[in-house]
Amino acid sequence: MLAYSLRRLLISVPIFIASTFVVFLMAALSGNPLNRLLAISPPPPPQTIEAERVRLHLDQPIFERYWNWLTGLFRGDFGPSVESTMDIGNEVMSRYLVTLRLVLLAMLLALILAIIAGVVSAVKQYSGIDYTFTFIGFLFLAMPTFWFAILLKEAGISFNNAVGEQVLFTIGDSSVYVAGGAWDKVLDTAGHMVLPTISLALLSFAAWSRFQRAAMLEVLNSDYVRLARAKGLRRGQVMRKHALRTALIPLTTVTALDLGSIISGAVVTETVFQWQGAGTFLLEAIRKDDVYSIMAWLVISATVIIVLNLVADLLYGVLDPRIRYA
Amino acid sequence: MLRSKSGAARAAALVAGAALVLSACGGGDDGGDGDGAQTGQIFAECDANPNECNSAPADQLQDGGEVTMALEKDIANWNLNSSEGNVFETGMALKGVLPSTFVSNPDLKFAMNEDVLESAEQVNTNPQTIEYKIKQEAVWSDGTPISAEDFIYIWKTQNGRDCPDCAVATTAGYDQVRSVEGSDNGKTVTVTYEKPFTDWQQLWESGQPIYPAHIAKQHGDLNTPQGLKSAFDWFGANMPTYSGGPYKIEDFQKNRSLTLVPNERWWGEKPKLDRIIFRIITDAAQEPTALQNNEVQIIYPQPQVDLVNQVRNIPNVSSYVGLGLTWEHFDFNLDTPALKDKALRQALFTAVDRQALIDGTVGQFTDKVEPLNSNNFMPQQEGYEDVISETGQGSGNIEKAKQILTDAGYKQQGDRLMAPNGQPVPELSIRYTTGNQIRQDSSELFAQSAKQLGVTVNVSPTDDLGGTLESGEYDIMLFAWVASPYPFANAVQNWTTGQGNNFGNYSNPDVDRLLNEAAAATDRQDALAKVNEANRIMAQDAYVLPLYQKPTFIAAYDNLANVRNNSTLDGPVYNIGEWGIRQG
Amino acid sequence: MPDNTNSDVSPVPTRTSGPEKRTRVEREFTVAERSQAQLVLRRFLQHKLAVGSLIVLILIILLAFVGGWLWKYGVEDLTGDHSQPPSWEHPFGTDAIGHDSFAQVLRGTQISIGIAVLVALFATIVGTIWGAVAGFYRGWVDTVLMRVADLVLTLPLLAVAAVLGHNTQGTWWLIAVVIAGLYWAYVSRVARGVVLSLREKEFIEAAKALGATDARIIFRHLVPNALGSVIVNATVLVAIAILIETSLSFLGFGVRPPDTSLGLLVSQNQTAVSTRPWLFYFPGLFIILIALTINFIGDGLRDAFDPQQTKVRA
Repeated sequence: MLAYSLRRLLISVPIFIASTFVVFLMAALSGNPLNRLLAISPPPPPQTIEAERVRLHLDQPIFERYWNWLTGLFRGDFGPSVESTMDIGNEVMSRYLVTLRLVLLAMLLALILAIIAGVVSAVKQYSGIDYTFTFIGFLFLAMPTFWFAILLKEAGISFNNAVGEQVLFTIGDSSVYVAGGAWDKVLDTAGHMVLPTISLALLSFAAWSRFQRAAMLEVLNSDYVRLARAKGLRRGQVMRKHALRTALIPLTTVTALDLGSIISGAVVTETVFQWQGAGTFLLEAIRKDDVYSIMAWLVISATVIIVLNLVADLLYGVLDPRIRYA
Repeated sequence: MLRSKSGAARAAALVAGAALVLSACGGGDDGGDGDGAQTGQIFAECDANPNECNSAPADQLQDGGEVTMALEKDIANWNLNSSEGNVFETGMALKGVLPSTFVSNPDLKFAMNEDVLESAEQVNTNPQTIEYKIKQEAVWSDGTPISAEDFIYIWKTQNGRDCPDCAVATTAGYDQVRSVEGSDNGKTVTVTYEKPFTDWQQLWESGQPIYPAHIAKQHGDLNTPQGLKSAFDWFGANMPTYSGGPYKIEDFQKNRSLTLVPNERWWGEKPKLDRIIFRIITDAAQEPTALQNNEVQIIYPQPQVDLVNQVRNIPNVSSYVGLGLTWEHFDFNLDTPALKDKALRQALFTAVDRQALIDGTVGQFTDKVEPLNSNNFMPQQEGYEDVISETGQGSGNIEKAKQILTDAGYKQQGDRLMAPNGQPVPELSIRYTTGNQIRQDSSELFAQSAKQLGVTVNVSPTDDLGGTLESGEYDIMLFAWVASPYPFANAVQNWTTGQGNNFGNYSNPDVDRLLNEAAAATDRQDALAKVNEANRIMAQDAYVLPLYQKPTFIAAYDNLANVRNNSTLDGPVYNIGEWGIRQG
Repeated sequence: MPDNTNSDVSPVPTRTSGPEKRTRVEREFTVAERSQAQLVLRRFLQHKLAVGSLIVLILIILLAFVGGWLWKYGVEDLTGDHSQPPSWEHPFGTDAIGHDSFAQVLRGTQISIGIAVLVALFATIVGTIWGAVAGFYRGWVDTVLMRVADLVLTLPLLAVAAVLGHNTQGTWWLIAVVIAGLYWAYVSRVARGVVLSLREKEFIEAAKALGATDARIIFRHLVPNALGSVIVNATVLVAIAILIETSLSFLGFGVRPPDTSLGLLVSQNQTAVSTRPWLFYFPGLFIILIALTINFIGDGLRDAFDPQQTKVRA
């Protein structure tokens, strides 16, 4: 399995490099970062603009720029940002950490809720609770994240007003200063995480609970579960030891595959809740025509996704006894 | 300002909150329990008394306290004098840290910075010579006196000669200075101009403040271009650990926050607050909720009807709509063949109903905004004269517009307008910045008024205002200029032949002459008169139609004292050292 | 998440149990083709929720495309009523300069649906051919084609679409091309799976033995037989595309003013949620209604094409 994953990875690398060229081209052709300087009143002197052109390699032909960027990458050089003081490498890494915290927590929340809802729905098939979960699932699948997130903020403020205290926060991942000890810091951070995590988790939850329900039903209707029941094993035992464990396996794959869409979702969540993560980093880069920052984001995203997919492959082996690494 | 209970109670509430929000799933009843509790009157005096409203004597303020203000951009470059660092938000963040010669007050007039200078006077007109006297006790936070050395360093980097590679925001004025000399231990600075510069107060003012030369020296030889450049760049790349103002920077977290604490070496009145935090919130739409939730206590966003109304509904928060120095305008591109004809331009501008445009846009949240009638001055500024009304432009008088066209030989054919040469007037495009709702609405209103004359105007946004202006890919552009309190150099940049900011390529020799004379005068009144004379000519030529003074918007919690609107480029932080929290 | 595509598509049996089950219902006799369609239709009509959704969706589409045309106010009309709450005159209220919100929402719906349908169309055509070619030739062609598809699938597509969408200048069909350019990969996987199992079937062997060209086999035999799964996926893709487009527009990289879309309307009015709620809720509700009904229809179609799976699904 691991060998398979690695081989797949090896083939993906050249394809990925080829695709970076397309994105580089598109990003580089979409706008001129120097225009920002021209709109300033009064405009900076021409030598300032010329120096900036050279610094951003805009004087080189596009293919040369791409080649220099690609080779620079292997030396750990992400290229110059439109913001001359910014080190793209450090910046994108530190902001990815913020995003990963949000993404992983949201995935965990979504998984737990999805497994509960999916299993309950499957076991109580066609019951009121099954229909309720199904309807909620469909509803969240159809709901735009940003629309929901804006409502969530309003709800959070109403909650704060109701308890008469600032428990939930709507901006950022933590307060700048927290009076008190470590416990207060933990609470503060938690208070900042609640709303964004919920908003990011709910749509994955919707999709995964539907999936988990289907997987669970399939297992419940399988011959070996019927056999286990026929042999007189208790229902709870069959559920836990046989059905649930088997039904979790496909969910692992789906979770790993969905990583990309969750990172996409984080772009929206970060915007609404003003988290300074990789998503807002990308949006800023696009708006400023900061080609090298866009490319850095792409490379790091691909790396993060590949690594987490490898982790999922390994987990798969733990869950599924049929797969063992040599 | 945070209320706090015991940790356990908050933890319980937090868990409950998560559960409640999850189960409620966004059933957002808004407002909560804040009905009727609105006080919101701290800015009530600001219309009558912009410079002193919401003030409180020091003994009514509590010692200490923390205030958080929203800042809409991250700080990427700390050198406000560089083209990259010349960002409004960075200027706000450093207002309490860097010294300057002149500041812009809420009444839109500039005044000498009395914290730093004893005096600043023009002592000779030929050659123009200015003498600054720096306060004896003024020192940088490491104890080094603020002196002529600092002035000289800034001048050298900014004059375009000593450091040609310094990527400066502007050389205006500095390039006309012949010498900057220190005397009296560096506490007297004598500046001699090569050629008179009417806006001499603009040099070292709060938008282009003073950086410490003794620290610059540690990062480059200030007598060589390379040394100057490396010091200049160093100031851009490194957060100031020095201070020459009431506050100093304690901590900066990129993309997150900047924290100021009092500067112990500050020679003026001791600031009251222990800590001022600038919280970076890049999406203005998220600011009202953050304010309502008390995560920030002061916001200064671009106003928009919902945002303003949302803030007005928050209990214990006061808000104020001010009129600033930024003004919106329609510009013609004079390179567009059809628009080379003055009559068509006059007719199109005459058809625009500015009052209706204001009513449909900014008038939705304030009744203060009125049509602006000058291309150079705001009504609150010295020198403002109405040069537009007499032309009838912006009045929405369709009959008059049609008359202008008929007189010039245009004919109405069906609902199309035919030029005197018999050809139909081609379709024109009006452009504005993507995402700016108010400009979008204004552009649509322009198109509607043009339609009544038989001219089709297509509305299309641009996400690259600078590029579009530069390349001339527009027929009509809607954008804004900032009228500086120092208007003369600006007028030359914007309206004279071939200048960088004259995007629509307007050229009138009389205007060129008058404006250039005005910028190089030593008598301010004479200069103001010349600018207005030029403006009358320009108005007749129907090149740029000023629409209105753009409103600004500040909101703050009621317990904050000495916080008030300042619609200039200094922003509400212009008196940051005086901010405090009322007792009780 | 708008592009929860994987999981959205995932309940399609291809991922859990492979396409074999589905193909069992295909008849080997070509005369069965018409009755097959009737069978599917009959099964679909039994799915009440799906039929109800179809009716609602058709009503929305009619409202948007015909109603928008008949409605007394156009999108660009300025009515003179500023910021009015809903009334008989303006069912969805008006905005600050007097646009009728009902007209705006209808126009937004037109654009959003237009983009979504175009995305589904492009992505389905490209994806089906891509997958069919990969599945048919196997070997290194398959490896390269599917690794490309895998790569596209793993990327955060909304974000990549934002990078590419920056170039579209808000032209609605270009936005559709960008979204389709990233989402075809989902379809290609499904198509490949179906083709992989089909190509071992006797009727393909027979066609080969009769000397049919590769192109003929792919287009005459493989593609039509993969149609069921492809239609189901295309339907789901419409719902996904609606959400992607609205998210893109929300972030400022999709449709731009003066044109409008449902996502753009929500984005422009996000601060209005407590002050002029009609501007915020109506476009949002339309998004939900459209995506919801399409998902239900997709569900109904899936059951109709694949009766064996019915018991596993509500």
